Amino acid sequence: MIELAPTHKYGLSLPTPVMPAAGVFGYGDVYRDLLEEGVLGALVTNPISLRPRNVAQGQRILTRGEQVLLHTGLPNAGAKAILRQYGKYWERSPVPVIPHLVATTPAETSKAAVLLSAARGVGGIELGLAENVSEDKAVELLHAAQDSGLPLIVQVPFSRVDALAPRLVEAGADALTLTAPPRAVLPLPDAPEDKAESGTRLMRGRLYGPAVFPLLLNVLARFAAPGANQLHVPIIACGGVASPADALTCISLGAAAVQVDVLVWRTPGVLREIAAAFKAL
Amino acid sequence: MKQQTATFRFALPSPPHWAVRLDVAQPPRAGQYVLAECGGPLREALFPADVDADGFTALTPRGHPITRLLPGASVDLLGPLGNGFRLDRVQRLLLIAEADKLSVLRPLLNAAPAVTLVVEGPTRARMPAPDSLPPAVELLLVTLDGSVGYLGPLESQEPAPAGQERIGPLLAELIAWTEWLCLACRRERYPALAGLVRQARLQPTAHFAQALVHTEMPCGVGACDVCRIPTRHGEKHVCTDGPVFDLLEIGNE
Repeated sequence: MIELAPTHKYGLSLPTPVMPAAGVFGYGDVYRDLLEEGVLGALVTNPISLRPRNVAQGQRILTRGEQVLLHTGLPNAGAKAILRQYGKYWERSPVPVIPHLVATTPAETSKAAVLLSAARGVGGIELGLAENVSEDKAVELLHAAQDSGLPLIVQVPFSRVDALAPRLVEAGADALTLTAPPRAVLPLPDAPEDKAESGTRLMRGRLYGPAVFPLLLNVLARFAAPGANQLHVPIIACGGVASPADALTCISLGAAAVQVDVLVWRTPGVLREIAAAFKAL
Repeated sequence: MKQQTATFRFALPSPPHWAVRLDVAQPPRAGQYVLAECGGPLREALFPADVDADGFTALTPRGHPITRLLPGASVDLLGPLGNGFRLDRVQRLLLIAEADKLSVLRPLLNAAPAVTLVVEGPTRARMPAPDSLPPAVELLLVTLDGSVGYLGPLESQEPAPAGQERIGPLLAELIAWTEWLCLACRRERYPALAGLVRQARLQPTAHFAQALVHTEMPCGVGACDVCRIPTRHGEKHVCTDGPVFDLLEIGNE
């Protein structure tokens, strides 16, 4: 068993340290035909906000080589509707459900966290912060999400780890997900060169793929590696993990668990392979 | 959702596409799709252009990664996925497609004793070769430059220049004549085409007009939210709620 919230009164124990990243696995039931129950250590849901959010307009996905740029606008039906639809499923889940909460305002974040925590099966909350959130606002949002009373994991924006991670731990985060996908820009495929340079035909979004993995290892080496861990909370590694070997490398660099992102869409079985590798240790 | 292994048989040029044959135990029906693992970062959606008991043929763009496989290669598929076209004991069928999206309607060309196919394209050279269609299919061409057939676009209400003709009046007759209507166009055109249906039929039955929505579907299971579209009943996933929708449901944005 892996403990992701060792100092929290409830704790957050996982049978195996592998889980899907927020935004790749829906709300839990979509891969039930391909992945047997209990393969995962936890179920991290798609982003959830208090109010419904519509999908982003324009281009939402772009690939370049092995990399994927994604911009969906974090659409979801809102916490109440999602609970109505998936609450029963979460209740029966053999592993803890970790809703990924979109941090908006402190008031909304608190309300949504309390709503989600009332669902049986929910073992903790993962709080997603905007890339440009200030340190003070991040702490305020963290405190709002703590109203759930459940263990709180904070997914730290890629470019803000130095500034935010120590503050969030100090403010009481039980664990950190390092990191949210980096922000990136790509020219749209039909964009003439001159327009691409002027920035009018570019797509902005979150970057996924194998290029993110070395960046993740760099973050882990600085913040999680044995002897270098300045944070003193469990770290969940997230970004470009593509194989059992990648997952084991993250663990060797001090991560307590790993999240697998968009690779799940191509190869759902990679979650099973990574879980088996951990079991064999 | 099913995961199955297909056998790649061949990829042959079928201008402007490549015809790719996959043998698989459970092929997709017309309007359904499979997600094929072709070595890229995401799976590729393949729609059937021809289906039989042993597999299906898909028409892909030139250079599609699946065309580089060697005959006999195994291909990992997710699917069949999504809701395809649903036709019930049809006698008269009207199909409307943009030329570059016609392939998804090809499995329906033999679905009824009387099939009328309306194809719209930019110019004569982009139109399907008549000998590539079953002889019993009545083919009506619409070109945006008027180089052959009627002058487009399909939904135009403007008077045609001298010597040319719009398809509008005939299209209204065809919509009144047909039992089912299946469409494959860009999504932004569906509201206008839904308007034509409402003008021609006062109270069309549910799913009388079925429209296939083309968009990227990276996961195929409704997990990624990339393919969400607005509909009359809120946002829906093209990959699981579609890709074939009731035209009147998505034509009301």
